[in-house]
Amino acid sequence: MRVTTMVPNVDYDIQQTQQALSTALQQLETGQRVNAPSDDPAAAADSIRSLAESANVDQYTANVSTLQSQLQSADSAISNIVSSLNSAITLGTTGANGTESAANRQILATQASSLLSTIVSAGNASYQGSYLFGGSASMSAPFVAASTTYVSGSGTTSSPLSASTALTAGSVTTISDATTGQTMTFTAAAGDTIGTLQAAVASAVSAGTLSAGITATINASGQLQIATNNSSDGIVVNSDDSVLGSMSAASGTSVANAYAYVGNNAVNQVQVGDSMTVAANLPGSQLLGNSNVLDAMSQLITALQNGTTQQIGDAVTAVTAALNSVDVQRVPLDNTITQLNNQESYLGQEQVTLSSQQTSLTGISEAEAATNLSQAELASNTVLAAAAKVVPETLLNYLQG
Amino acid sequence: MSSLNTALSIASEALSASTTALQTVTNNMANANTPGYTREVVEFQSVPGDNNGSANPGDGVTIASVQSLRDELLQRQIEQQTQDQGSANAQLGSLQQIQTVFTTSSQDIGTEMSALFSSISTLSTAPTNSADRQAVLTAGQNLANAFNTASNTLTQQQTALNAQVTQDVSQINQLTQQIAALNPQIAALQSQGQDGGTLQDQQDQLVLQLSQLTGVTITNSNDGITLSTGNGTPLVMGSQSFALQTTTGSDGMVHVLDANGNDITSTLSGGDLGGSIQTRDQTIPGLLNQLNSLAYDFGNAFNAAQANGYDQNGNPGGDFFNVPATSANAAASISMAISDPSLIAASSDGTSGSNGNLANFSAIQTSPLGSSGQTPTDSYASLVYQVGTLTSNANAESNATSSSLLQLNNQLNSVSGVSIDQESTNLISYQQSYEAAARVVTTVQALYQVLLTMGTSAAE
Repeated sequence: MRVTTMVPNVDYDIQQTQQALSTALQQLETGQRVNAPSDDPAAAADSIRSLAESANVDQYTANVSTLQSQLQSADSAISNIVSSLNSAITLGTTGANGTESAANRQILATQASSLLSTIVSAGNASYQGSYLFGGSASMSAPFVAASTTYVSGSGTTSSPLSASTALTAGSVTTISDATTGQTMTFTAAAGDTIGTLQAAVASAVSAGTLSAGITATINASGQLQIATNNSSDGIVVNSDDSVLGSMSAASGTSVANAYAYVGNNAVNQVQVGDSMTVAANLPGSQLLGNSNVLDAMSQLITALQNGTTQQIGDAVTAVTAALNSVDVQRVPLDNTITQLNNQESYLGQEQVTLSSQQTSLTGISEAEAATNLSQAELASNTVLAAAAKVVPETLLNYLQG
Repeated sequence: MSSLNTALSIASEALSASTTALQTVTNNMANANTPGYTREVVEFQSVPGDNNGSANPGDGVTIASVQSLRDELLQRQIEQQTQDQGSANAQLGSLQQIQTVFTTSSQDIGTEMSALFSSISTLSTAPTNSADRQAVLTAGQNLANAFNTASNTLTQQQTALNAQVTQDVSQINQLTQQIAALNPQIAALQSQGQDGGTLQDQQDQLVLQLSQLTGVTITNSNDGITLSTGNGTPLVMGSQSFALQTTTGSDGMVHVLDANGNDITSTLSGGDLGGSIQTRDQTIPGLLNQLNSLAYDFGNAFNAAQANGYDQNGNPGGDFFNVPATSANAAASISMAISDPSLIAASSDGTSGSNGNLANFSAIQTSPLGSSGQTPTDSYASLVYQVGTLTSNANAESNATSSSLLQLNNQLNSVSGVSIDQESTNLISYQQSYEAAARVVTTVQALYQVLLTMGTSAAE
């Protein structure tokens, strides 16, 4: 073929080698073979999936860490409860051996009372502003000192509340019983009155949610009064109904050593793996309620104060049973902590796997990138050198004259 | 009969022929870098002698013609490749800009979706933590922004392409006018049996420029070349050119009309115009559809999850995202519907510390979404794959046509291109034949002198 000029070919070759040089440089700088989807569309798409999975693994790792701290906190609180119960058993055993004087038994009772306070404090433990043992009602302390009588803020002798007073639709009123350890929740529907609430209380008593003797009445001062007629029983009442005003304990009606659980039974699940969730909390109703801890302690204190040796002995048996029960309740929590520790290692390995997957998809090793760059430089220089030699020469350079 | 006069006249014809040849060489050399110039060669022809017996030599040389060496087939092939290249480059340019918004970074849609799901998972460990709640809203806002940005990038490209279409049509009209003007002049030359010469070169260059802009079908006729678009809309016939018009349609796009006002936009292909129209009217709307579907389905899924639970105040959850009624424009308009962190519906039972409803949000990540049936991540990955493939294909096409054009141009150059080396040797040849003819003239002049002084005392 007749060749007239080599300039177009040279231009083209220079363009090609420059492009290769530019690509090699970018790959070396970024450490990535795929810097834009067009570099390798399939790899780019796979990389997106891989990165999403990596982000999840990072998140699970963070969740594991958060839960480890949270559950460790819970476990320490339970340790406090366990050691308090052990001390209480010792006190009770001493008191039940019949050799202690009445005065000494009073001292024992006082000490037992103090142990109960410790247990309640532990039950009200919080972690970073959230109460650990309240179920999902984590914004306020789950164990509250109980009283026999609660009265409404609203209602006076001149303008009393009555059974026909309408309640605010959607308002929630709760009655927590220290003895049964349960809570009655009443949500007012449209058209409900105080009478409806009274009927609800009565059926809660029949159902056993509230102990016998708890009633809701209008007292002489025109207030709604929710009370128990059992002086050793206690309740805690809450209402957000503005018609009632806030429910508060009538002064002088607090019951010593009586605490009601005002939280709920909800357990929050947290995902720590693609198909692994763990329980993030243990409701207080399960921890202390199922174990009858508070009840047993209350029984012990009363027995030490003025009970017979037999009664003290019975109370010690109750506290021992409660302790065993707490130990059982504790097991799932400890299991979860172990599970979390294992998951932590697993997630660490997952992250390594994903990381190397991403490198093989879109990355390029420094060695390979550097080699590519030298080759591209060599090619570019070769083309330029050849062009410099060949392009300027024509016959005219050689003709004389 | 031979005579000194005949020799002289042959020599002077030879001088003239050499001069013409030298002029041709000079012209070629001068135009060595003129784009589209086809080299000229002189065709020497020997003049036969009188048929008067065997003793009569020929009557010298004459120049039969000066020819331009062109190859019409190669020219047409080059025009075709140029149309393909124009189209590929137009698409590549747009797609490379679009691609940046789908490249993994700290702010692309895929990253922001992951960040949103992560923030929700963090919240599940501490549902009442107000900082964690705020982080969810921030992540939601970032994702909405990412959708908005991607959509805007696509629609901005369409706007740029509208300007490009208008500009291309205006240039096309100028070129067709110029091409049509040359047709009668070239036709006149051809009817006399001559090559179109420089005029043909000019017209070929104009057609090449036109090919860069749009796909054209080229046919020859007695009135010159006829140009029409792919579907037969005439652009040039004989001395007449037909201007295209542009108008903005109800869809906000610039449409191309033929001389009679018919909308031919969707029939145009090839060249920058064809490539721009394809990108603007097919490629980008396709990508926008997928993007809008993703935004629409994702937003609705989040709103449905909100509705399943309760916020921190115990009220049923309201919308998380503002999503339009249909998926059209969903990506451009998606925005946050809540700014108060307590309105996130984390709770499944109305209590403020419950995280039970957050599982419904997390499930979105692994559930098939809306009409696509793919998870959000897969849906986004498909979109990225598509953008990558389109760009990579346009790039490959652009490279292929460049390489092909190089080959074709080299072939054309081998026929029509000026070789300085070759012209230099021709220069030497013609210089020598000129010198030889001049030498003959001098010699004949001397012989005349001898003849005139024959038999006189001056002839010594």
